Amino acid sequence: MARAPLPNAPGLDSLIEALRVLPGVGPRSAQRMAYHLLQHERSRAAQLARALAGALASVRHCSRCNNFTEAELCTLCRSSGRNPALLCVVETPADLSMVEQTLSYAGLYFVLMGRLSPLDGIGPRDIGLDHLLARATDGIVTEVVLATNFTNEGEATAHYIAEMLKARGVTASRIARGVPLGGELEFVDIGTISQAMLDRRGL
Amino acid sequence: MTRRRAVHEPGYVLHTYPYKETSLIVELFTRQHGRVGLLAKGARRPRSALRGVLLAFHPLHLSWSGSAELGTLVAADWAGGQPALSGIGVMCGFYLNELLLRLLPREDPHERLFAVYAASLAQLAAASDRAAVLRCFEHRLLDELGYAPLLVRDAASGAPVDPGRRYEYDPERGPLAANGSAGAVDGQTLLDIARDEYSRETTREEARQLLRALIACRLGSQVLHTRAVLAELQDL
Repeated sequence: MARAPLPNAPGLDSLIEALRVLPGVGPRSAQRMAYHLLQHERSRAAQLARALAGALASVRHCSRCNNFTEAELCTLCRSSGRNPALLCVVETPADLSMVEQTLSYAGLYFVLMGRLSPLDGIGPRDIGLDHLLARATDGIVTEVVLATNFTNEGEATAHYIAEMLKARGVTASRIARGVPLGGELEFVDIGTISQAMLDRRGL
Repeated sequence: MTRRRAVHEPGYVLHTYPYKETSLIVELFTRQHGRVGLLAKGARRPRSALRGVLLAFHPLHLSWSGSAELGTLVAADWAGGQPALSGIGVMCGFYLNELLLRLLPREDPHERLFAVYAASLAQLAAASDRAAVLRCFEHRLLDELGYAPLLVRDAASGAPVDPGRRYEYDPERGPLAANGSAGAVDGQTLLDIARDEYSRETTREEARQLLRALIACRLGSQVLHTRAVLAELQDL
């Protein structure tokens, strides 16, 4: 629903406009948030503004893995307990934290912050593929584990990274897909079972 | 306002866009309704049954309802029977989808093109001659849109195209005989495109250029992202 701009409050209008960048926030929600902050939460609104400005000033991308960090190198990349010969490529920081929670991977990471998505106009430079190639060919990395999502976009991303690495003599591997752990075939979606059949392996 | 409803309609996902917190807007190509945009409520929830289903390049059966510009997806079922695209095939699939998204108006049925699209995906999955699959699709698409290129007759003289001659190609009119070795395409290329025959090397290259130019005329100022992304990948 369109709201006529208030004649005396251009600041309110620009706040509403700014809040709309948040995912899932349309004009109505943005208006509600802005009124709420200005009516009831003025001190915490100031806190929000400071936190936002602070994060923007201090948080940047790790120069090795591209994840968010406040230092030149993130804690993971600085850690001495990791195997530097293994590099795992994930789409987002959330994916990285999932792989970390498994406690079954001891190598390092590269976070793409996205995926190749030609229909959305997202190309290799938007996800830092040039940066990844430089990182993977540093002479220490011997295997790159591609842990992009099993969507068409994730598959295309994995394919092109693998091709580029192969051309440069670096081994690439792809995480396995199939029936989830503890999954009973009866309750697994058909697409997954169909892929699991195609990707079956010898025992 | 017309009420629209479909039950168990064969179709493919062309693209999805996130909508609000947990939903998706799905662009579909369906057999009887052509290109359709639907709202898939809750499709992005972690345990949504639609997650493994609303993927491009897989045959689906779709049911929807709704009266507005954007209907609501009621059910999407896996129709199966086709292996997933992989590697370069995925990129070729994105290209087909982008052509359909940009050139097909919504709610305009194209049953023949739908059959061609389904067959093209199956061929891409089988990793057959991908370039030939794309050229055939481009040709059929122009045909369905009402811009079938003239290929077998000279646009000026009306004489049958001579396989041994060179031709210029005017996008609005058709082939025009050129002098000697000047001109953009062999007569043979034009005849090959007309019968979907892409084994000749010169035909492959010239057909690619010619069909690209013809599609560019239909796209106007729109840019094909898929091509730009492929070019960028080549550079790396």
